[in-house]
Amino acid sequence: MRFVLRRLAFYLVAFLVAATFNFLIPRLMPGNPADIMLAQAQGTIPPEAREALMETFGFIDEPLHLQYLKYLGSIFTWDFGLSVKYYPTPVIDLLTRALPWTLFLTGTATVLAYALGTLFGIRAAWRRGGRFDSLVSPLALALQSVPAVVVALTALFVFAVSLNWLPTGYAYDPALEPSLGGPFVKSMLVHAVMPVLSLGLVLVGGYLVTMRNNMIGQLGEDYVHLAEAKGLSDARVRYNYAARNALLPSVTAFAISLGSVFGGSLITEVVFNYPGLGNLLYTGVIARDFPLIQGQLLIMTLAMLTANFAVDIAYVALDPRLRRA
Amino acid sequence: MLGLLKIFLRNRKAAFGLAIVVFYVVVALAAPVLTGHDPNKRVSRPHQPPSVEHVMGTTRMGRDVYTQLVWGTRTSLMVGVLAGLIVTLIGTVVGLTAAYYGGTTDETLNFATNVVLVLPQLPLLLVLAAFLGQVGPLAIAVIIGLTSWAWGARVTRAQALTLKNREFIQASQLIGEPVWRMILVEMLPNLLSIIGFNFIGSVIFTIITQATLEFLGLGDPLSVSWGTMLYNAKNASAITVGAWWEMAAPCAAIVVIGVGLSLLNFGVDEISNPRLRTLGAIGKAMKLQKKLDRERLVEKEA
Repeated sequence: MRFVLRRLAFYLVAFLVAATFNFLIPRLMPGNPADIMLAQAQGTIPPEAREALMETFGFIDEPLHLQYLKYLGSIFTWDFGLSVKYYPTPVIDLLTRALPWTLFLTGTATVLAYALGTLFGIRAAWRRGGRFDSLVSPLALALQSVPAVVVALTALFVFAVSLNWLPTGYAYDPALEPSLGGPFVKSMLVHAVMPVLSLGLVLVGGYLVTMRNNMIGQLGEDYVHLAEAKGLSDARVRYNYAARNALLPSVTAFAISLGSVFGGSLITEVVFNYPGLGNLLYTGVIARDFPLIQGQLLIMTLAMLTANFAVDIAYVALDPRLRRA
Repeated sequence: MLGLLKIFLRNRKAAFGLAIVVFYVVVALAAPVLTGHDPNKRVSRPHQPPSVEHVMGTTRMGRDVYTQLVWGTRTSLMVGVLAGLIVTLIGTVVGLTAAYYGGTTDETLNFATNVVLVLPQLPLLLVLAAFLGQVGPLAIAVIIGLTSWAWGARVTRAQALTLKNREFIQASQLIGEPVWRMILVEMLPNLLSIIGFNFIGSVIFTIITQATLEFLGLGDPLSVSWGTMLYNAKNASAITVGAWWEMAAPCAAIVVIGVGLSLLNFGVDEISNPRLRTLGAIGKAMKLQKKLDRERLVEKEA
């Protein structure tokens, strides 16, 4: 319990640091963001909105520390101001609309990739140098160094443009009204195939390689030899003994990989025009929509910290030593 | 030095990776010799498929893909190496300092490292690049370098902590060696493999991230690199109009250097951690033993 509380405190401080960066970045950069933005928006914003815009930024004639306090207050009330690109929609509405898509995409892809990578890693380590290992491990190694952009673009070219099997973009057929009915769900799933698989493909190599290496380390330990000598079945030694212990470092590796999950999903969403947070951030960045960018970065940080915290809790469940501490 | 090279070449993965990396470095250095004209010069009609004259075809703007690719190699490798050096330098200094001094220094540095580690990096880079305006390759190298050191610092610290309790370090402490000597002469050489691993990993990461940022349109569109090639190809809808070569060339270049560098990295890992080797020789010996056993069994029965 103390471990969990300590981690929770850490994430709170980390979030505060991120929020401070978010506050400082536009203030340290050359030029006044509000003016750049107004120039970019070219007349879609009425001049009287300028004042309000400056205020949502906290660009008011006040000392910096008062601006900072006001900014912190706005985080806790979820008030990120109005979007410039989609004026006058509040940023928070755009974010809540995009969040489920990103959670769906990253969630499915990570679970698939982690399960598959771990199982294959166990198998490859068990028969090290065997046919399965010498086929799968170099492949995983190669996959690990293939950037998400390349995977997504290749998938787009092969399956959507050349073969015309799958739709080229978006999360569902825009002609359909969102509902829980059969045709809509089917269209949603068909549109999700390519983004999920290409994001999964980017991730699976890393999980496989980590698990294989951890597993090989465990297989050399005395307790594994003892289990074998006792005459336990192969499956029992493999999964209940070696794999269970090899899983611990792989969970840590999973937490570290969350950064690339979010990065990868950003790219995947942009390439497939998937209406998630990544794509929204990209639109915001291109349009220099600063309220949107700032709100976006906070939400992404929050999502990442929450995911990290979830991994910590999983770690406690897997490692009994932490429960006593 | 020659001995080290021999060890490298004996490991198949490392040798193959090294060959790829050397090839890229040669291409980057010899760019002016390998190409006949400025990479941004219009030399042909737009979107010509690969032919004898233009081996990799031409872009929407009528530029030669091969020439752009060769010059792009120069930019991308340079950015990768520069950011890799920054990452390795910060990571090693932070990791070593934290491990050596311990106490409050360690706690502060370790805390900072962990915070940087849990921030979403690509979105942060995207935002930084957006606020800075369209940034050139050098600026990209610097911002990637300054934001990606946390992983290296963590690994270096962990390794240095295990070193600190070894006898030879304690002995040198007892004979009163100065701090700089302890860190630079006693500890650093024992961390070289992890520092090298960190460097190569950072180069891969930077090359991929630079291409990604530029693909998203945050780089300087006038510079020639693999990322801006992808960006221009995307803007020309190269995929939908069927001009696959404009996309394929930079994609292939990124994938191959990525594979080369990570082979090199895994080779280094295997050399310093023999357990990870695939047991080629031992496997063969065991097969032979089984065959012999079987033959003996047949003889006995006969």
